[in-house]
Amino acid sequence: MNDIVRMVVVLCLIAGVSSAALTVAHVQLGPQMEKQTDLYIRGPALERLFGKPAKEVLNNKVVVHLPDQDVPIFFSRDGEKVSSLAVEAIGKGGFGGDLKIMVGIDLNAGLTNGMEVVSHSETPGLGARIVEPGFRRQWQGLSLETPIALTKDGGTIDSISGASTTSGAAVRGTNEVLLFVRDHKDDILKSISEL
Amino acid sequence: MAEKFLPTLTAGWWRRIPPFRLVLGLCPSLAVTMSAENGMGMGLATAFVLTLSNLAISSMRNVIPSKVRIASYIIIIATLVSIVEILMKAYFFPLAQQLGIYIPLIVVNCIVLGRAEGFASKNPPFISMVDGFSVGTGYAMSLTLIGSIREIFGAGTWFGMRVFSDSFEPMSFLVSAPGAFLTIGTLLALQNLFSRWSGEKFIQG
Repeated sequence: MNDIVRMVVVLCLIAGVSSAALTVAHVQLGPQMEKQTDLYIRGPALERLFGKPAKEVLNNKVVVHLPDQDVPIFFSRDGEKVSSLAVEAIGKGGFGGDLKIMVGIDLNAGLTNGMEVVSHSETPGLGARIVEPGFRRQWQGLSLETPIALTKDGGTIDSISGASTTSGAAVRGTNEVLLFVRDHKDDILKSISEL
Repeated sequence: MAEKFLPTLTAGWWRRIPPFRLVLGLCPSLAVTMSAENGMGMGLATAFVLTLSNLAISSMRNVIPSKVRIASYIIIIATLVSIVEILMKAYFFPLAQQLGIYIPLIVVNCIVLGRAEGFASKNPPFISMVDGFSVGTGYAMSLTLIGSIREIFGAGTWFGMRVFSDSFEPMSFLVSAPGAFLTIGTLLALQNLFSRWSGEKFIQG
């Protein structure tokens, strides 16, 4: 009996100390990781969405605070007017956890102009193919007014074969962005003009 | 203690250098050594984990009940690997992306568990740390060597610098998976030949 108690206690202690160490590392290095992600992932993604060098647009960032989450938004100006936005969103329910995606929005045309994946932990060869342009190309020129859906749900987005869960998560994330932009467009433009 | 220090320190660099003598950890050796830089990054990450895990495990060797020792080792190793992953993502992001899934997979690397079970669980902390450092740096050297051979002949570069003139046609199959088997096999054969020639006692069967 004594042995079993000792086993449980020792294992629990080790696990506790380990998770404490991990939490500290994550909290301490989180901002630095964020910076690197900006440089190597968000930068190239913004270059593709806005067609401008990353240096010009990486600092064009506002964060809109919603009651349940903070939404980072990048924007690009065409002259004085804000011409396009890139809104980051969480695509809930991917196969290996949530996806972090960025949806480009062309404000002049009122259409989307692309989708980029910021981070994911999907299966290589299946869900991880979400980063390939072939799938993401379908996000060109979608209307901002109607929510999108996969073909199996009667929509227009062809899912990646063998990875409908991942595709579904991307679609959910996008719909969140569309809804968010529709509801908060004025807030976004206001916080950009206050910058 | 002092008389054990030097032999332990040098053992990992030749007498039980992984993956050639201690034929463990072959999976990452085959998978990530497309270039010298990747090999070295992977090797150093493993060395870091190995040194600290040996230290941690051997300082707790009298506390951990033997029935749950493997579980405890895995928790300790997994924590260290996650910390390495966070560190790499924070400071060496492109390398972390290149190595991808192989960084988290250090957890199940047989070298780390093998040294924990075979050395750290029986020896005091300091000497275990030396052993971890030595085997880890030995592994880093091997991976850098394999990566260098594959990169130089497979891509014509070394750590990204050009080594051959344009007339050299790189054997690009060396940087793909079959090239890894060929390179490691050849190196293993050479090492065995050398050991036989110099009359060393074989450690591996």
